[in-house]
Amino acid sequence: MTAVTARIGKISWTHPRTIGVYGIVLGALAFWLALPPLAARTAALPVVIGILAIAAGIWSWSRDEHRVGGGAVAAGLLGIVFGLLATRSSSAHLDQVVVWSALGAATLRYATPLTFAAIGGLFCERSGVINIALEGMLLSGAFFGIWGAIWAHSWAGNAAWVVGIAAAALSGMVFAAIHAVWAIHLKVDQIISGMAINFLALGVTGYIFIDKYGDSGTPGNVGDFGIPDIHIHFIQNWYFIGPIFGSLNLMIWLSFLLLLGTWLFVFRTPYGLRLRAVGEHPRAADTVGISVYKTRYIAVISSGAIAAMGGAYLSIGFVHSFNEGMTNGTGYIGLAALVFGKWRPFPTWGAALLFGFSSAIADRLPDAYGNQWGTLFQALPYALTVIAVAGVVGRSIGPAAAGRPYVKQ
Amino acid sequence: MNDELLAEEFDEQPPDETPQPSQNFPSKFNGLKGAIGPLITTVIAFLMGGLVVLFTGKNPIKVYEAIFKGTGLNWFFHVGNHSARIPFATAHMWFPFDTASVAAQNLQQTLLLTTPIILTGLAVAFAFRCGMFNIGGQGQYFAGTIFAVWIGSSFGGMNPLLHVLFCLIAGTIAGAVFAGIAGILKATVGAHEVISTIMLNWIAIWVGEYLFGQQGPLQNSTQPSIPISNDIVEGAKLPVFWGLKLLQGLSVGIFIALAMLIVYWIIVNRTTLGYEVRAVGFNPEAARYGGISVARNYFLAMAISGAFAGLAGAIDITGWEYRIGQNDIAVNQIGFIGLAAALLGRNTAIGVGFASLLFGALINGTSGRQLDPSIFRPDLAGNLTTIIQGLVILFVGLNLTGVVAWVRRKRRRA
Amino acid sequence: MAEAPLLELRGITKRFPGVLANDNVSFDLRNGEVHALLGENGAGKSTLMNILYGLYTPDEGEILLNGVPIDLGSTKAAIEHGIGMVHQHFMLIPVMTVAENIVLAIEPRRAGVLLDYDAARKRVRDLSERYGLVVDPDARVDRITVGQQQRVEILKALYRGAEILILDEPTAVLTPQEAKELFDILRSLKSQGKSIIFISHKLNEVLEIADRITTVRRGVVVDTVPAAGATEEGLARMMVGREVLLRVDKEAAKPGDPLLQVEGLRVIDDRGLETVHDVSFEVRAGEIVGLAGVDANGQSELIDAIAGLRQVKGGRILVDGHDLTRAHARHTLDAGVGHIPEDRHRRGLVLPFSLTENLALHAYRHQPNSRLGFLSLRRMGARARKLLKEFDVRGGTPSTPAYALSGGNQQKVVLAREIDGDPKVLIAAQPTRGLDVGAIEFVHRRLVEQRDAGRAVFLISLELEEILSLSDRILVIYEGQIVGEFPPTATEEELGLAMTGGGRGEEAA
Repeated sequence: MTAVTARIGKISWTHPRTIGVYGIVLGALAFWLALPPLAARTAALPVVIGILAIAAGIWSWSRDEHRVGGGAVAAGLLGIVFGLLATRSSSAHLDQVVVWSALGAATLRYATPLTFAAIGGLFCERSGVINIALEGMLLSGAFFGIWGAIWAHSWAGNAAWVVGIAAAALSGMVFAAIHAVWAIHLKVDQIISGMAINFLALGVTGYIFIDKYGDSGTPGNVGDFGIPDIHIHFIQNWYFIGPIFGSLNLMIWLSFLLLLGTWLFVFRTPYGLRLRAVGEHPRAADTVGISVYKTRYIAVISSGAIAAMGGAYLSIGFVHSFNEGMTNGTGYIGLAALVFGKWRPFPTWGAALLFGFSSAIADRLPDAYGNQWGTLFQALPYALTVIAVAGVVGRSIGPAAAGRPYVKQ
Repeated sequence: MNDELLAEEFDEQPPDETPQPSQNFPSKFNGLKGAIGPLITTVIAFLMGGLVVLFTGKNPIKVYEAIFKGTGLNWFFHVGNHSARIPFATAHMWFPFDTASVAAQNLQQTLLLTTPIILTGLAVAFAFRCGMFNIGGQGQYFAGTIFAVWIGSSFGGMNPLLHVLFCLIAGTIAGAVFAGIAGILKATVGAHEVISTIMLNWIAIWVGEYLFGQQGPLQNSTQPSIPISNDIVEGAKLPVFWGLKLLQGLSVGIFIALAMLIVYWIIVNRTTLGYEVRAVGFNPEAARYGGISVARNYFLAMAISGAFAGLAGAIDITGWEYRIGQNDIAVNQIGFIGLAAALLGRNTAIGVGFASLLFGALINGTSGRQLDPSIFRPDLAGNLTTIIQGLVILFVGLNLTGVVAWVRRKRRRA
Repeated sequence: MAEAPLLELRGITKRFPGVLANDNVSFDLRNGEVHALLGENGAGKSTLMNILYGLYTPDEGEILLNGVPIDLGSTKAAIEHGIGMVHQHFMLIPVMTVAENIVLAIEPRRAGVLLDYDAARKRVRDLSERYGLVVDPDARVDRITVGQQQRVEILKALYRGAEILILDEPTAVLTPQEAKELFDILRSLKSQGKSIIFISHKLNEVLEIADRITTVRRGVVVDTVPAAGATEEGLARMMVGREVLLRVDKEAAKPGDPLLQVEGLRVIDDRGLETVHDVSFEVRAGEIVGLAGVDANGQSELIDAIAGLRQVKGGRILVDGHDLTRAHARHTLDAGVGHIPEDRHRRGLVLPFSLTENLALHAYRHQPNSRLGFLSLRRMGARARKLLKEFDVRGGTPSTPAYALSGGNQQKVVLAREIDGDPKVLIAAQPTRGLDVGAIEFVHRRLVEQRDAGRAVFLISLELEEILSLSDRILVIYEGQIVGEFPPTATEEELGLAMTGGGRGEEAA
């Protein structure tokens, strides 16, 4: 706690970086003010606040704070655009789409697979191995999770989801193991081996799926033995918090634990120190007796397990079915969240929430605005990612040795 | 840096550099010997694919046989005395193969598919030469598709030659611009093109779905309930020179694609631009020190890369698709197949050519049209193709020399 | 008193592909002595020490500690036996703190799983006091000076209980003042019972600090002599095997008009700090100006600025009267500035390119090598053949890829390319780093040739011998400023003093 208060005490409230942060907040504010419950209707309001945000961003940029400055400008622009759009659409539509509590719950639901994927990627990349294969691991977790659960249903009943999660993790580990051997021992280009895993996962899961469930799809009763929602009765009726946190799926709660555990592990334990050392300067780690190969293998295979569990959440915790290629790029967004969050657990989660939020909105748009807008909005998470990778994050500093195979003499 | 001194001492390779596509480093095998790696890779991939088929209780030999029949490549094995019509004329001449047989029709389909794969393969290959991973071939292809459809279905009374050219050029430029976005991002802020191109892919897909979906701006003007675009006008269609247009005969697009292979080779090996691109691809620092503008080449390489892919989209539209719908966009994988083709073809013109033929044949052979469902379900076969694709990429990335080095190292330890 | 040596290496042989790095090497270390291992680059000293530290395994031979044969299959084993190594290029993780780096792999724990940062800090401070190596445990390694980083490296070894310390070229990155401090530390460690192996190729240092000196040449031990009584000439002869010309033969310079003029130059480095601060000097036609200085005092940024690879914050750069301050690399090259970069692998050559292509790195854009954007391979090949012959490049034909050549031949290719461009100004940055003596002589001869042909040669080197033997005028750079100009008759002490900022008078170092 004292560390946190010390950090706050060190903040200079007029430093260019803080001004940049103000700008980002203002940009978000510009949009938010036009939404329910405040639902300001004057177009001038988001425009003015957005301009303030852009100004703050330019100021910050000119003082060499490029990242937050750029972020503020981007936030300001987006705030103006979306704020204007909001003021021009009817109140009824807005009320239909923007139900904060429902949005909140949906955000968490969308963010969870991203979180699992991103945290999986975190372990892998922190050890110095690039992981493009998060998409494949997520997908394999989705399929093998549901397959395992369906198979286990006959003898495990409604607890089959446990088997499902285990099967998912196992499948993720297998794919990750391939990536590990290829990247670590065979020293193949890690992006190529990652892409290969993605195709393999897509093909293998699709193949087995069609073979087993091709004609009728996965059985409809998966919901009975899927990953349970946790109903917290006493808060379910609380205003605002209730609908969001009252009935979250177990995996979502697990994702919170995962974040905390990851932070503790990576930054507060010796093993995390060694992991980071291997990712930053493997030769230095080697010279103090840390086994670079062993550390990387463990990291990569763990990442497969973790990412795959996110996939399991998708198939047996959320939609309770499987379709070919159902992850639809989620793994890549998870990777983007990781880069956005600079390979640290909590900022990564923040990015995942942001992306989840945009997906949540995209979901609700068709009800009010018709199909085509809903479709177009689906592109938003990806567009945000491009902006993040380009503007806000810029030259994000990842683990220094990421991508380079380690050659032990 | 210790390694550097050691390398000086013992003339070993310089230490680990920044991650670059390892495909760039020339293998010890050049020329014909360079085909050994890809050949072995292909064989391994097909063998393992066969194992997968075996595991699910089907006969891999029968399956591969059925697929092969569907590709039309067996057309080359039936030599005889036939008479063929000279394209675009009425005269006939002697020809060793039967140009109207079923195998011939299958071959037309294979070549129709090979055409865009060649181009998306060239797209990936060109970017690789500059040290970049262009995973965005799919999105750039769609950019070309969208513009080709739009222009093709407008301007009804235009001169056919001009109209077709217009469509193709528009598609090419659209792909170039779309890829150029990733190129500019890389050149200016150093954004990694893998993420940006993958994201752009999805953006292109969703924009396409939006445009051609119900009530979308480019949706069919006569059938409001079907999420599909307008047809392009007759004048905007590429001439078909083999087979019947109604039955999706082979358009002259194949020649354009083959010509592009030559263009690619010339650019890479015989122009100053190609020299710069290769220098930047191998060693951006040294290129910079030599006065070459790294940023400019990143942008140009991505733009040219996207141009190839966009052209692929335009040729497909004008050559046989004639329209595009939401469903088509959702299932299309041509950009990724191009990725596999480029890797298998080791980023060379000849390699990409042959690899594209292989994949074109594979996809045609496993498609619903050609494959007898009683032997093997087409949707299973489609996934088998994806598996083989993944295996190819996995083993190609392996690079024989890397394996040999590993084995040697293990033997040294023992 | 004939006591058994603490550490003994007997008959160590190590082979790498194509090279015999250590050939039946025998070496011993007595308790409490400083034993120097002397040899040129490529002599095999680093390999030997890497074997001792468990990074390599010898093909033949054995190692005895206190008379008992031991197996050093890994660095862990070496550490357990009390052997610690301070590498020339530090094995420190830049983004981590001093304490984290020191305790890495044997971290103190709290509750079994958590890292006990407080205990780590305390232990670092204790060690620090005991051995007199002052460091701040919480400082990030990439923010402390090189001398401090070296202290962290030593502490790292001591923390693991090293009784035997191996230091690999420790003074390569230090100022003469810091080197003196290091020697004090070594003497202190010696008095506390540690034994030290000191690897170097610098004769004067070795004579100052060592008790015994072992010379290696081309993988073979030449001799082991006590330091008392040894001379620089004697040692040099052992190192190289023949009389070493410590100075290059050259005529007096005939300088003409200034071809390179730098006025009030200010340059910012990648971190945003001003590393070149108000630098002014000129290099005239027909002279070699040498820039001496310890590494990372602004030389790299200065060179980059002149070559057009880095933006200039203030000041001017004039080449033959033309203002090239804002010019980019291409423009600068075209204007007649040749640049031999300091790292031929990373910056000088495109290794997978053929020699022809590498030689054409500047010229490819101009006729006759290309026309209208199309390369003329025939002409490029002819040009390459001519240059390869002229510069006596061995190891390949014009179509050989550059990575197949030895370091010396690679550097010849770079030289050929730059000199063929007929530059007015030739910048040579560390031109002989990592080269064998034959190649060094070749490069030196060529640079003098260029000088005599009327070019302005600007030589930047970390080797004072090279600067002294080649330059007609010597400038010393310290913390981004030119702090002195010396004639070639200056002594190493004078230069060394200036390199550390001493003797300037007005400002504090």
